[in-house]
Amino acid sequence: MSETTRRARVSATGLYVPLLLGAVVTVTLGVYGSVHTPTGIAVNVAGFSGPQTVKVWLASGAALLALVQLVSAFAMWGKFGEHVPSWIGPLHRWSGRIAFLLTVPVAVHCLYALGFATYDTRTLAHSLLGCFFFGAFTVKMLSLPKRGLPGWTLPLLGGAVFTLLMGLWLTSSFWYFTTIGVRF
Amino acid sequence: MKRNGPLITLLAGLALAAVLITVNLTVTARGGGDPDPAGFGAAPATTAPAASAPPSAAPSAEASAAPVAKVNATWAGTVDGGGATIAIAVTDGVAVAYLCDGKKAEVWLQGTAAAGKLALTGKNGAKLTGTFGGGKATGTVTANGRKWTFTVKAVAKPSGLYRATATVRNAKVVGGWIVLPDGRQVGVVTVDDVPQPAPAIDPGTGAVTVEGAALTAAPVTGALSGN
Repeated sequence: MSETTRRARVSATGLYVPLLLGAVVTVTLGVYGSVHTPTGIAVNVAGFSGPQTVKVWLASGAALLALVQLVSAFAMWGKFGEHVPSWIGPLHRWSGRIAFLLTVPVAVHCLYALGFATYDTRTLAHSLLGCFFFGAFTVKMLSLPKRGLPGWTLPLLGGAVFTLLMGLWLTSSFWYFTTIGVRF
Repeated sequence: MKRNGPLITLLAGLALAAVLITVNLTVTARGGGDPDPAGFGAAPATTAPAASAPPSAAPSAEASAAPVAKVNATWAGTVDGGGATIAIAVTDGVAVAYLCDGKKAEVWLQGTAAAGKLALTGKNGAKLTGTFGGGKATGTVTANGRKWTFTVKAVAKPSGLYRATATVRNAKVVGGWIVLPDGRQVGVVTVDDVPQPAPAIDPGTGAVTVEGAALTAAPVTGALSGN
């Protein structure tokens, strides 16, 4: 662990590869969602009444953890005072990991059973947000270990990932709760 | 080690997705063994690529499988026993069903129609499951503790399912109409959640007067919005 001794020049060029791979992820998801014929069904998770309710609650869990992400990120950047507790870092990492893993089954169901949809503004927005979310998350993950990136990199990427996930939640779970009802 | 953390996170997500897709593919392939009359182009082919592709096939392999036309159809008719009328309108695989008695009982359901199967849900646990093919749809609706079975035929415009939503003098108005091939109309309008028999619509234009206000009922295409 000698990277602390290295003093890299600050430059945004290190973002090229993450951005490129993120774009690949986004485009791949969009193309797959459009080309693959939605099956309408997918494997259900035990304990819920249907695939939609599973997704609604998984996404809500991810959204809740995203709020943890936002607060812990602010704490890590010293927005709540100079003293940053040592557990904030692990909290941020693990809440993020779990949130991401919660979104994966949702995305698989969306893409496999429903596909990229454009029936109305909500589904179109949701489809676009979904593709961009995983692209943005890829960029964020690939940028994290890189040194010498500009200071705005992580706040910008983290903010983008957070905003996209909140948009996803609002266009799916929130819509479901308000349109169909709170069900398990 | 720490620097690899984000990469491991990404790979873990990818692995989870791969597992889920594999499970989906195997389950879908197994379910595809059911005989499925090819009334609609979408039905048989959906499971074929899954069956031929090895379960470990990556999404990209699945994506290259021949695209199949999404389901577009409308079925309407009377349920078994004649107590209610049902219409199911499917646009690009998105299914909306409406079951009503023309007096005060009605259920809206939404879901999917794919691979010869209907799966829709509605408010308060309402559920529709069924199959389609060969110009008709068969299935069961459960809602409000009651159960209906149906076998209804495909219909063409101006027959079909119509819906109007509006706010009339601060009252929320939602109307549903099923127009049958013999010209009969069955519909219910709810005004602030109070259901009543719906006045007839002009099937050509969808024009209808509800509570003294001129509304337009539109054919249902795709997911319901603004309810």
